[in-house]
Amino acid sequence: MKGKRFALSKLYLALIMLITYLPLIMVVVFSFNDSKLTAAWKGFSLRWYQELFRDAALMEALANSIKLGVISCALAAVIGTLGAIGMTRVHYKSKGMMEYLSTVPIMVPEIILGMVFMAFFSLLGLPFGMVTLAIAHTAFCIPYVFMMVKARLVGIDPSLEEAARDLGASPARTFWDITLPLIMPAVASGCLLAFAMSFDDVVISIFVNGPKTSTLPIKVYTQIKTGVTPEMNALCTMILAAVIFVLAGTSLLRRQKARPGKRQ
Amino acid sequence: MEKRNKWGLLVAPLYAFTLLFVLGPMVYMVLVSFARNNGDGYGFFWRFTTENYTKIADPVYLQCFVQSFKLAFSTTFFVILLGYPFGYFMARLSERGKRRMMFLIMVPFWTSSLLRLYGWIIILQAKGVMNAALMGLGILKKPLKILYSYPAVLIGMIYALLPFMILSVYSSVEKMDWSLTEAARDLGASPFQAFLTVTFKLTLPGLLSGVILTFIPSMGLFFIADILGGNKIVLVGSLIQDQLTRGSNWPFAAALAVILTVLTSLMIFFYRKITHVKDLEEIF
Amino acid sequence: MKKKVFAIALAAAALSMTTAVQAEENKELVLYTWEGMFPQEVLDGFTEQTGTKVIYSNFDTDETMLEKLAQAKGGDYDLVIADDYIIEQAVEEGLVGEIDKDIVTNFGNINPIYQGQFYDPDDKYTVPYGAGIPLIVYDPEMTDLDIRGYQDLWDPSLEDSVAILANYRVINGITLLSMGKSMNEEDVDTIAAAGEKLLELAPNIRMIQDDNTQNALLNGEASVAFLYTSQVTAALNENPDLKVVYPEEGLGFGIMGAFIPSKAPNAKAANEFLNYILEPDIFAQCMNYIGYINTNQAADAQMNPALVYSGDEINGEYIENISAQADEQQNKNWTEFKAACGAE
Repeated sequence: MKGKRFALSKLYLALIMLITYLPLIMVVVFSFNDSKLTAAWKGFSLRWYQELFRDAALMEALANSIKLGVISCALAAVIGTLGAIGMTRVHYKSKGMMEYLSTVPIMVPEIILGMVFMAFFSLLGLPFGMVTLAIAHTAFCIPYVFMMVKARLVGIDPSLEEAARDLGASPARTFWDITLPLIMPAVASGCLLAFAMSFDDVVISIFVNGPKTSTLPIKVYTQIKTGVTPEMNALCTMILAAVIFVLAGTSLLRRQKARPGKRQ
Repeated sequence: MEKRNKWGLLVAPLYAFTLLFVLGPMVYMVLVSFARNNGDGYGFFWRFTTENYTKIADPVYLQCFVQSFKLAFSTTFFVILLGYPFGYFMARLSERGKRRMMFLIMVPFWTSSLLRLYGWIIILQAKGVMNAALMGLGILKKPLKILYSYPAVLIGMIYALLPFMILSVYSSVEKMDWSLTEAARDLGASPFQAFLTVTFKLTLPGLLSGVILTFIPSMGLFFIADILGGNKIVLVGSLIQDQLTRGSNWPFAAALAVILTVLTSLMIFFYRKITHVKDLEEIF
Repeated sequence: MKKKVFAIALAAAALSMTTAVQAEENKELVLYTWEGMFPQEVLDGFTEQTGTKVIYSNFDTDETMLEKLAQAKGGDYDLVIADDYIIEQAVEEGLVGEIDKDIVTNFGNINPIYQGQFYDPDDKYTVPYGAGIPLIVYDPEMTDLDIRGYQDLWDPSLEDSVAILANYRVINGITLLSMGKSMNEEDVDTIAAAGEKLLELAPNIRMIQDDNTQNALLNGEASVAFLYTSQVTAALNENPDLKVVYPEEGLGFGIMGAFIPSKAPNAKAANEFLNYILEPDIFAQCMNYIGYINTNQAADAQMNPALVYSGDEINGEYIENISAQADEQQNKNWTEFKAACGAE
């Protein structure tokens, strides 16, 4: 009976995943469509892949997007994680207010956020480019990491840390050896979300980017006048393929590594 | 005393960043919402007025707020319904299964959201995949006209926000101490009782953060309604967009944004009050 | 292990910050417009000819462009292509510089019917880059109606089957045209009346969208569509049996114009680029690519005939900037209309 329930739960996971991947399958299929439109299937073609490989600007935009995602995700991970841990221990009066404020960037509609960021950065005299993009993205990435870590920290037994300290571990050591491993799943999921949000953001980026720092979503969304071409589908397909390739590779490596001895 | 200072060091980056790059722009937004629009041209004047706020009382605009809340609530409801069990089941997978599932969830979100929405259009359209399948199976006689309607928008919203709930619930269930549930079972609780009194309670912080991460963005996400709903459901987000394009009325748009932010914050505040999550008392 | 990942991430972050700052170059032209406005060969051709690298920077809406340009005080960008009405505002703000006709020797190639317009009466600042006329397109297999004008969109037989573009000035405009008024009507009461009439259109609306609107017509979601020029072109490419209607009440025109910002870092290259694209074969290549109506007389011979407008039949007007009150009423009409479309 227990086995049956387990199978049911797996069936549920599989079903939801299937639905999640349906639109993605459409994206991949229509990257091979021999038409500029995604209205109907017109036959198999690789022309969008040819277009894609000629488009140096698009590749540069992709590189910018990855760079920006990594920077803002890393900054948000540090600020958000430290903040979440620190917040459970300090007793400042301003604490509640500050926690609220740090989540405001995901509350304010993006277009307004983009506009005020632009005005604010130019008030500070910051030159528009990667720096302004990174600051703006970090601002809306922090809440994801912060909330995830915070939820995870609730209920974690503080005696674990105290025990480590009693055994003579330095605070830094306690953090690396005890606290961080405990909250790592939350940091990881926060980072994954943050990266996804940064990698897909267009509205804020359009306002705070510089003349030479286009990101991938900007290239996609600004095709308004002529319509989004399947070149973008082709690019998405390539990204997917790359991600799957890397994941499969690392999991293979891990399996080989794990084989000789037992883990931990 | 010295100890406290050290902890203060941890929150310092968050304090500094938030004060400079969040509070600063927000103050600017509030200021703009009280400025006067330059009617016949570009930009606005720094002259105090409250007319941007009084204008919102117009039923046309109020309706947009109602629509936004309606959509945000129904989205959050369905996301909890689908996402909680998912996160729960996911946490019970093997270590490798968990890792794989986490990536499986996130991978679609590393591709353009616009293209994924176009994917949904291909699926949902009258001559699309879904209707073909349902009619092929003999479930439907006539194609469903689901695209450009409320259900289509809801599907798109749930799809976009589900991972937030899943990952929140997951990280909360994953760290749970299962011996507590077992203890409850040993004391004679039914599986359901044990779940409700122990598991559910212990994972409430995860659910709370999931709800916040779902509800907040769903108030602002309007391009899903524009694309899958054919622009027929007017949310505050698209109203703001309209005010900024062509109309280029920054102050009114800022006022709408201020009201939206305040209302969203209030919702979160009440939600927290109702659910009595003591452990998270400090969050808002 | 985790420490290492962390350190690498931080190092990568630091590194990319510095490279971003270094990217100062000498021979570059920063082109600022929507994505997909030029075939890659045309941009590459310019680089080959002059050695100047084209940096293609994008905005989503005209208003974003104006905001960014105003923040940069007319600098940062060398050449902008945007819609007519926003160019008028940019000129008023002093953000636009004059074109150097000593460099742009091909200026005479421009079709004069697209010159001397409201946004640039003396042809000092702009080179028109394609014109658009939103038109009605319908699938004769899906409706028996013989559509002749905007008024037919109100026909009860079209319930839930009309797709329209999402520009509030255009939609208000065609309603005004169907009432025998001007698209640039200033009288608020008349505009309010148009708003009332627009509400009657709501039951017929299947969808309102600005991008890929033609897909609704092609995939059978709608039987009639009111589309931008590039979308009309795309729809006909896909399904040649569709019927195109030049509405009898009159047409609404829009022009996209190229201009050089007042403090463009490399105005010389911008002028050279304008001269380059005004070459007949280059211009024809561009217009055929984006599917807009050709604005370069000398290029007409090499154009897809559907994209050449024979001047004399023009019965239309440009959508110009209107007073704040009139604009606000139009905005309100639009919000009410969209909400009415969603009401079951």
